[in-house]
Amino acid sequence: MISLLGGIFLGWSLGANDASNVIGSAVESRMVKFGTAAVLASAFVLLGAVLQGQSGIETLKGLTQITLKQAVVSSLAAAITVTLMTILGLPVSTSQAVIGAILGIGFLNRQLNVMGLGKVVACWFGTPLGGVVIAIVLYRLLAAIYNRLRINLFQSDVLLRLSLIAAVSYGAYSLGANNVANVTAVFVGAGHLSQFAATSIGGLSIGFGILTFSKRVMATVGKRVVRLDSFSALVVLLAEAITVHFYTFVGVPVSTSQAVIGAILGIGILKGINTVSWSTLKNIVTGWFLTPVVACLLAIAIHFLIHLKYIPFCRPVLLLAVQ
Amino acid sequence: MLKIFFKKQQQIESLIYKYLEIIKTTERHFSEALNTCIDNGLCDHFHFLVEQTHKFESRADDVREEIKTLMYGKALIPESRGDIMGLLESIDEIPRIFELILYMIKTQKLTIPDLIIQDIRELIDVSLESCDLVFKQVEILFKREEGIRKIVSTIDHNESHCDHIERHLITNIFDSDLDPFQKLQLKDLIINMGEIADQADRVAKRVNIISMKRSM
Repeated sequence: MISLLGGIFLGWSLGANDASNVIGSAVESRMVKFGTAAVLASAFVLLGAVLQGQSGIETLKGLTQITLKQAVVSSLAAAITVTLMTILGLPVSTSQAVIGAILGIGFLNRQLNVMGLGKVVACWFGTPLGGVVIAIVLYRLLAAIYNRLRINLFQSDVLLRLSLIAAVSYGAYSLGANNVANVTAVFVGAGHLSQFAATSIGGLSIGFGILTFSKRVMATVGKRVVRLDSFSALVVLLAEAITVHFYTFVGVPVSTSQAVIGAILGIGILKGINTVSWSTLKNIVTGWFLTPVVACLLAIAIHFLIHLKYIPFCRPVLLLAVQ
Repeated sequence: MLKIFFKKQQQIESLIYKYLEIIKTTERHFSEALNTCIDNGLCDHFHFLVEQTHKFESRADDVREEIKTLMYGKALIPESRGDIMGLLESIDEIPRIFELILYMIKTQKLTIPDLIIQDIRELIDVSLESCDLVFKQVEILFKREEGIRKIVSTIDHNESHCDHIERHLITNIFDSDLDPFQKLQLKDLIINMGEIADQADRVAKRVNIISMKRSM
């Protein structure tokens, strides 16, 4: 059970960080109360994880052969990377951190599924691009429907609010389905957990992160994101959810933050306005390249650290963690 | 089933229409009071109509407060709350100007000289036409129907016309043999009358912006 703590911690931080992508716009625009959104999102994250989380787990566990000790090392490396990047204020993808860490272990094992890795990296490129394209198509489609609806302004408000609640639920569902692999796939690969146990524990830990710490993260991260009108916010949320859900079928965990940024860019292209500044884009690209590299190096470093013959203080703590 | 979701919105909707009806009644009393003043001077009926205008203006304020309380009880999305509250506050300026004009006439015991009566009637007619158009425009906004832009351009045209009448009136007053003190009083009155069309124009442009924001 102790060996699972790294994964649970990673799931918790994923929930706390990524919740802003799913419930942020709804809560920030005060259209849904935080409590309602968080409970709804946690429930749907668990549902998504249990019902559709298996395909991502299959991909990640297929990247390299891994032992339980190495699974813990990769979880720990990914969790530290996410924390480090968050402290540095860089947009971080848990998926990239996890895959970077698995890559590090793969290098050490001298065994890596290059085809699988290629598929994953291709999907990383495809995520923001998918967000852009889906947001543009969705905006045009939903706007055409919305403008034709014979409802008054007051009814349109109710419709927007209900749609946003539905989109929050769908966004949370796709987050759970896609990202649960990040949390517990390595433990399935190490033969420590069954698929059902992995998706359940992963879903619960992400949900717990949303319930307990996402409000605080949203307060700092949310302010950096451009404030959109309710309709655009709905489109961004749906585009992000569809993009992430699409990659669930492909079986690759991707970053919800990158899907959101892509969708916001799409809205900017449609409206001819700058929704994302150059400095934000620069930070995203930096984070995009740094996250897997840092996680990979950290996994290798931690692995060497626990295999050193003599380290005063540190080794007992690390050994306790990986046992 | 859907009625559960729409309950608060329906309450606000009916309150807003009630508010507009009260403003229209205020406008009717104002118009009648002004015509009475022009035709019969400061008679009892004029005083009665001034009080009626005041009464309905206050009633409109009460309904506006009721709408505000309901809206901030999270009945609408925050974006709409801000837009609608701003719009109602802007509309509310119109009856305030009606009241201001009537109280100016009443308290300063103003009489409107014959040489400007025709222009005053025209100024008021065009201004009140703009107000009626604004009320129609607001209803169109809430019903999400077409035609807002066309009304904006008519109101804009009316506003320019009123500015022209206003300048013509002031020139006539200062060219006349009236008492200099009365000239200044009348100038103030006319400037306030011109404010009706200006305010209607501001409301119309605000409605247009809200409508454009909501057109996807």
